[in-house]
Amino acid sequence: MSTEIKELKFTTFKTNIKYSVINKRVHNIDGLAKVTGRATYTFDVKLPNMLYGKILRSPHPHARIVNIDASKALAMPGVIAVATGKDTPGVKQGIWRRYPELCDEQILPLEKVRYIGEPVAAVAAVTEEIAEKALELIDVEYEVLPPVFQPLDAIRKDAPIIHEGVERNINVTRHIEWGDVDDAFAEAEKDGYIREDWFRTSSQHHMCMETRAAVSSFTPDGKLTVYCSTQSPYYMQALLAGVLDMREGDIRVIAHYVGGGFGGKFELDAAIFCSAVLSKKTFRPVKIVFTREEDFIASKRRTPMHYYIRTAMKKDGTFLAREVRVFTNGGAYTGMGATALYLTGFFCSFPYKWRGYRYDGYRVYTNTLPSTAMRGFGAPQAMFCSEQQIEWMCADLGLDPYEVRRKNAHTECYEVPGQAYIQSCGMTQCIDKIEAWAKSKGNLGPNRAIGVSAAGFMSGGIFNWFDTPYSFSSAVVVINYDGKVDLYVGCQEIGQGSNTTMAIICAETLGVKIEDINVYSGDTAHSPADLGAWGSRQTLMAGNAVKMAAEDAKRQLLEFAYAEMGLNIVYDLDIKDRWVHVIARPERGMKYEDLVKRAIRGKDGQRIIGRGYYTPHRKGMISPAYSYMMQAVDAEIDPETGKITLHEVMTAHDCGQPINPLGLIGQLEGAASMALGFGYLEDQPMDEGKILNPNLVDYKVIRATEMPKTDMIEIDTYEAEGPYGAKEAGEGLTNPTAAALGNAIFHALGLQMKELPITSEKIVNALKEKKEKQGK
Amino acid sequence: MIHDFHYLKPGTLKEALAMYAEHEDCKVICGGQSLLIVMRQGMIAPENLLDIKHLNELNYIKFDEKDGLRLGATTTHRAIEKSEVIKKYYPALVAMENKLASIQVRNWGTIGGNLAHADPAGDPAPLLIALKANIKVGSAKGERVMPLDEFFVDYFEIAMEKGELVLEVHVPVTQPKTGIAYQKFNYLTNDMGIVGVAASVTLNGGNTCKDARVVLGNAGPTPRRSKKAEEFLIGKALNDDVFAEAGKIASEDCEPVADIHASEDFRRHVIGVLTKRMLKKAFEEAQGK
Ligand SMILES: Cc1cc2nc3c(=O)[nH]c(=O)nc-3n(C[C@H](O)[C@H](O)[C@H](O)COP(=O)(O)OP(=O)(O)OC[C@H]3O[C@@H](n4cnc5c(N)ncnc54)[C@H](O)[C@@H]3O)c2cc1C
Repeated sequence: MSTEIKELKFTTFKTNIKYSVINKRVHNIDGLAKVTGRATYTFDVKLPNMLYGKILRSPHPHARIVNIDASKALAMPGVIAVATGKDTPGVKQGIWRRYPELCDEQILPLEKVRYIGEPVAAVAAVTEEIAEKALELIDVEYEVLPPVFQPLDAIRKDAPIIHEGVERNINVTRHIEWGDVDDAFAEAEKDGYIREDWFRTSSQHHMCMETRAAVSSFTPDGKLTVYCSTQSPYYMQALLAGVLDMREGDIRVIAHYVGGGFGGKFELDAAIFCSAVLSKKTFRPVKIVFTREEDFIASKRRTPMHYYIRTAMKKDGTFLAREVRVFTNGGAYTGMGATALYLTGFFCSFPYKWRGYRYDGYRVYTNTLPSTAMRGFGAPQAMFCSEQQIEWMCADLGLDPYEVRRKNAHTECYEVPGQAYIQSCGMTQCIDKIEAWAKSKGNLGPNRAIGVSAAGFMSGGIFNWFDTPYSFSSAVVVINYDGKVDLYVGCQEIGQGSNTTMAIICAETLGVKIEDINVYSGDTAHSPADLGAWGSRQTLMAGNAVKMAAEDAKRQLLEFAYAEMGLNIVYDLDIKDRWVHVIARPERGMKYEDLVKRAIRGKDGQRIIGRGYYTPHRKGMISPAYSYMMQAVDAEIDPETGKITLHEVMTAHDCGQPINPLGLIGQLEGAASMALGFGYLEDQPMDEGKILNPNLVDYKVIRATEMPKTDMIEIDTYEAEGPYGAKEAGEGLTNPTAAALGNAIFHALGLQMKELPITSEKIVNALKEKKEKQGK
Repeated sequence: MIHDFHYLKPGTLKEALAMYAEHEDCKVICGGQSLLIVMRQGMIAPENLLDIKHLNELNYIKFDEKDGLRLGATTTHRAIEKSEVIKKYYPALVAMENKLASIQVRNWGTIGGNLAHADPAGDPAPLLIALKANIKVGSAKGERVMPLDEFFVDYFEIAMEKGELVLEVHVPVTQPKTGIAYQKFNYLTNDMGIVGVAASVTLNGGNTCKDARVVLGNAGPTPRRSKKAEEFLIGKALNDDVFAEAGKIASEDCEPVADIHASEDFRRHVIGVLTKRMLKKAFEEAQGK
């Protein structure tokens, strides 16, 4: 890492500023529209003359497409068009645009199918029923090829090749290293402790309330409008331009309301692509909505991983070094899996200081549903393995696991060599708080225990594999004659409350009320380019852009106020709660509404326009800032049936300055339900590449009755890089939970569970094994 | 997608039975909570649907201290759950209904539909069999009554002739000194059971077992009694060792199949644990009487 970064040292401090909008419990500004059914999701979009599309999917995990004959389908009354790969420019696309070899997915492939459920053709018809029936009339001739499903099989020399030219099916490799690893291990061999473990983490489905959906409308002037369910309208615009051979500016992407994303909706999907291709073919709008089953079998999933960790520590619990090797089941295509491979390797070091750290990750192609980003982005897998192993090592050595974590935890202004520069960090305080909370609970009785896990996460990625030429986030603030503020942002609202967060930051900065702000997002026609809602980036990155735009507009307003009030230039002006005033003499001032009117007149009738943007610079390789947390799970296990009862989840959390505490609680609860599901319920078992539970009866998602009490202890920190000191708060909360549950099981029953999900059956089997061992 | 069908709406039970006799390829729909799922999955596509949900003649809960409990076929799960008289005389039924699906499903799904659907994982059947319930079916030609444990033939298959409807479930008065218990094992509280066990224990004065039933849910193609466990129990002085042994017998006296949620071994194991626990619970309840 360059020395430049070292010069950037800030200390973390708390400001004494009293906020008028920030840190108040605010309901989401789009809540009313949603609960009254007035929000138009893509599913609700209906355009004149619209057709309905359906997708024909491969029944084979691996096969060559010899021929597709759609003549019978086309002859069916009501069928307007059928599209196959031959109707597309045949571009292999992907989100890692800087690396052409990783752009490996042709939606509607020309040559081969690589997983069960892969689209091979799409039909547009006057009704959904006709489109569905027509699918049965398309004859596809396949030459079935031998498949391979497991990464450890797929890297064998004799394994079938899934992508021509990719040897041993190794899609991406990643190496991270710092310090002298071998030296540190040598020291531990002499006078320390080394432990190695293998783990396996499972798959998980994003389970968005809204399935993949798109309405595409191509018009004779050569322009395409696409309504869709996406985490990034800008990405969709750019990716569609690439695969359709169009100019970005001729494509408009609209996503006003999105029913969840969780990392699964920022790649181009078949609903978007096929509806666009069919619309181009027919010059009519085409709507495609995935069924729940299609979402399960053909939208990408959380990356399953095989994990090997070898850790060395001194006998007093000081960490020395760690070596990590990971093989991930990549499925048929790259998707966002390459990033997950990198991040899992980085976060397996988190949140601790190591003298030496070495990671080697291999992403392996298999003939299964591709894996990709999902909330936590590789970190929940890493924490499940790392935090359990640390707990076991402490037990092996008879050390206090809180003390050991505290001893090795990141601290503020710490550099992860060559990787990251950490400014604010409340890790130690998080450990203190959870330790005190857990100890206050006293003895919980038999078969019940509290397990803990530390974690941290990034506040947006620094990497630009998408190769965008634009700032990572941008915002425009327009102040109108009546004082109403139009805020144009490209960051995407997907239910996480981003529009509300941006309105709060804008209102706080301008000194107005939240109801003064209209947020315009989710439409590339007016929203400035922004990478979108992924990697926990929006509060920090788009928040900074909004803050800058609002400051720009405010400065223009205050110029008029200075002139108007004839002040001595040593005085400073500010606006708070719509009152423009001299900071030193708050009673001296004028109404915001009056100032706006005069300022606009003074500008010859121009509205006041402020602009802002943000791109991270000189912050290392990963992220501009990191959240930290320690989580405790109180669980009870029936030793006879293995049934897990969850009593409580408590989290001590450092997310810098919370912007909206209500939104934060929503994130906490949502993350807990998702991550607990990851811990003991959710999985996607397959038989020869076919997912066996593509429905909500067989795919187990935590419901209200299973949801334990959750609460949070906020740790006070200030992040200099974030808007008003804010950083990530939501995705990272998914990281510690499965590990904390595993540690609760360890303390309750003495079991070391190395495979996710930790089902009752696995617990019962492990107990049996333990008894047999003890009996010997 | 659900295929098109003709919708038949009879005004009375008599009309319903006549229509049912008359129409080929006709399925009864009551609450639709099970039927619509299999139709949506394309597993069946009947030409005609005969709706009996609104037939109030079949919607009743009657109790008589001598005759016992009578539930009309279109009585909803929620009505059973909320019934004061059932709570008083058959509390195990209320406890079972409480964990059957969600309130929304219980509000609409019916006891007749549940039994006619004959899902081996269904909750009411094992408990009702433990309670020695009978079922009344009838067609345009007449009615007949059979013990509920003879009603289930195979997976989703029941002992009904063409044109017959389920009309009523009859639960006789429980013998004195009898305890009843039911529990299912699952991952989500209101899911169908991975397995379930109902037990009834009748005591002979002291702690000796006069009569017992052990009924297993989702442990084979139909809800089934473990007659071996029952025989083992009858005449024995009951204690924890006996319950554990009965559990072991039951876990071997069944035919559970593996699926993605649990292996066959694990199902047998949990049947053993639940049998032991439910017998103990029923025993303690019987002692208290
Ligand atoms: C989300 C969900 C969760 C569920 N969880 C559980 C659970 O935990 N435990 C459990 O036991 N069940 C559960 N069920 C199943 C369901 O509650 C019952 O099977 C349902 O109540 C059946 O009643 P119905 O009136 O809806 O029947 P319908 O769906 O209308 O009919 C079911 C079948 O019975 C036939 N039928 C209906 N009435 C009659 C009649 N009078 N005579 C002859 N045939 C008839 C129909 O033709 C059909 O074949 C669940 C269902 C859902 C949707």
